[in-house]
Amino acid sequence: MIAGGQVKAAFRICYFNGIIPLWRSPLLIWAVFLTPLSFLFFLFVITGPTDPQFLPHAVVGGVLFTVIFTGNGMLNDCAYLRLERQLQQIFVASPVRPFAYLMGMALSELAFTIPALVLFLAILLLVTPVSLLGFVGLLGVVLLTWLMATSLGFLISTLFKQLREIWPIGTLTFSSLAVLPPIFYPAYLIPARFQWVAFLAPSTYASQLADAVTGVNVGSPLSPGVLNSPWLDLAGLAGATILFALAAAYLARWREP
Amino acid sequence: MEALVAQKVTKRYKGRHRETLALDAVDLSIAKGRLFAFLGRNGAGKTTFIKIASTLLAPTSGRVELFGRDVVADPAAVRPLIAVVPQEGKPFYHMTPREHIVEYLRVRGASGETAKSRADGMLEAMGLNEYKDEVSYRLSGGLQQRTMVAMILATQAPFLFLDEPTLGMDPFARRQVWKVIRRAAQAGSTVLLTTHYLDEAEQLSEELAVIESGRVLYRGTAEALKSTLGREVRLRFSRGFTAPELQPYGRVFEERGAVTLLTMRKDVRELTELALERGSEITVGPVTLEEAFLELVGRGIEEDA
Repeated sequence: MIAGGQVKAAFRICYFNGIIPLWRSPLLIWAVFLTPLSFLFFLFVITGPTDPQFLPHAVVGGVLFTVIFTGNGMLNDCAYLRLERQLQQIFVASPVRPFAYLMGMALSELAFTIPALVLFLAILLLVTPVSLLGFVGLLGVVLLTWLMATSLGFLISTLFKQLREIWPIGTLTFSSLAVLPPIFYPAYLIPARFQWVAFLAPSTYASQLADAVTGVNVGSPLSPGVLNSPWLDLAGLAGATILFALAAAYLARWREP
Repeated sequence: MEALVAQKVTKRYKGRHRETLALDAVDLSIAKGRLFAFLGRNGAGKTTFIKIASTLLAPTSGRVELFGRDVVADPAAVRPLIAVVPQEGKPFYHMTPREHIVEYLRVRGASGETAKSRADGMLEAMGLNEYKDEVSYRLSGGLQQRTMVAMILATQAPFLFLDEPTLGMDPFARRQVWKVIRRAAQAGSTVLLTTHYLDEAEQLSEELAVIESGRVLYRGTAEALKSTLGREVRLRFSRGFTAPELQPYGRVFEERGAVTLLTMRKDVRELTELALERGSEITVGPVTLEEAFLELVGRGIEEDA
């Protein structure tokens, strides 16, 4: 199957693994939306009145949280299809290439999150003005983050033989990327000497970059020891995305060893 | 021409505490267009072989070629030529049987029109028409399995791997599936199937192999395997006989309170008359593939006798 066929295969997988279940079980939309919305709610209730800059940042955080958790969805879906239903095997034993499968599954995860993303973006526009360019920039950050998270999810899903091993790893990995780093809260709240630790997580770059492109100002600057530039954030996020995508393409176990 | 050639295929699974030899230098060839059955006990190595030959699993050593292409070195050249029903595979819970077939064919590159027409034909042939628009989580286990098999057979791939394709199906459904599998082979596909239903292997396969502890013990036709028993008839006595007194006539084993004897045709008259004298109910039939299989694998009969 030539490249065009692989692209079509990816979109077909997205259609039957993403669109059809969404159409038949619309409750899935709320499942995706509820966790970041809860975070947002608590942050707004607790901090909203004291620091008005928190809310736009936290809404952007909700967008990123939703996208990062596509990686967890990818991990669980791919592991479930491979280990529980033996369905990945029918794609391995077919003309579909691993990258087309990865993209198809990743697109279907994106399909699940699009309604939640639209809602968060609508909330963002309600709480702060965002220019068209800022909006496009945010979509770019979303796409890079989605590719990074889903590549990581796919890679991990192929490395284990038991679903029970995978569930805690997914929660640990993606909570470490979406909850602990300064996604919902501003990075400057981390004690100055530990701020560099946050930048070990690629999601921190995504958050900083998203704030920069949308013009969300989170107030106090980072400590002087931390390099703070949107270009650096872009390099960090793009680098992590390329790294995880390559790892998924070359290290994921398409054929069992 | 050979569709599949396996040479010295070995697979070792490394566990934390021990290593398991799943395949031990297996040599096997299957001619193009053949319907070939792989028999063996649980854990004998059937699924491991299918996984290796269908590019799902890497062997520890050895070589498998499908239509002259190396499945280890060049899986991308092999994959368009194959389709596999995985053991205990289950369909997508949210899709209907028709969607399964159409979407899988389209993912493999078929046009929308081809996919739909093949799907409709396959649903009809597999007796799934009535359920074609039901989402699969509402279907019984047997219907879900039929959906999996239909999806794979509809590919019309040159080589079809079917790992226990009729698992969980009722006898009617099994026969319906057999018909479609036979049709696939008649249309030119080579079929390698595993099954624990020995009647299925006997009905379907043109040739079979018996595998035990990772080694091929037998390869040939079902009839030839049965003839290796050296017995022609199976007699089952409900009562009035003990195993030791029947041993001079052939192989004897006891099951569920009855005594079964595998013997030669010439002894049937004498034993039937004896059974009538003793008021024992007697059932007479040909030896089955199951008996030949048990004998070959070297368990069962000796243990029970």
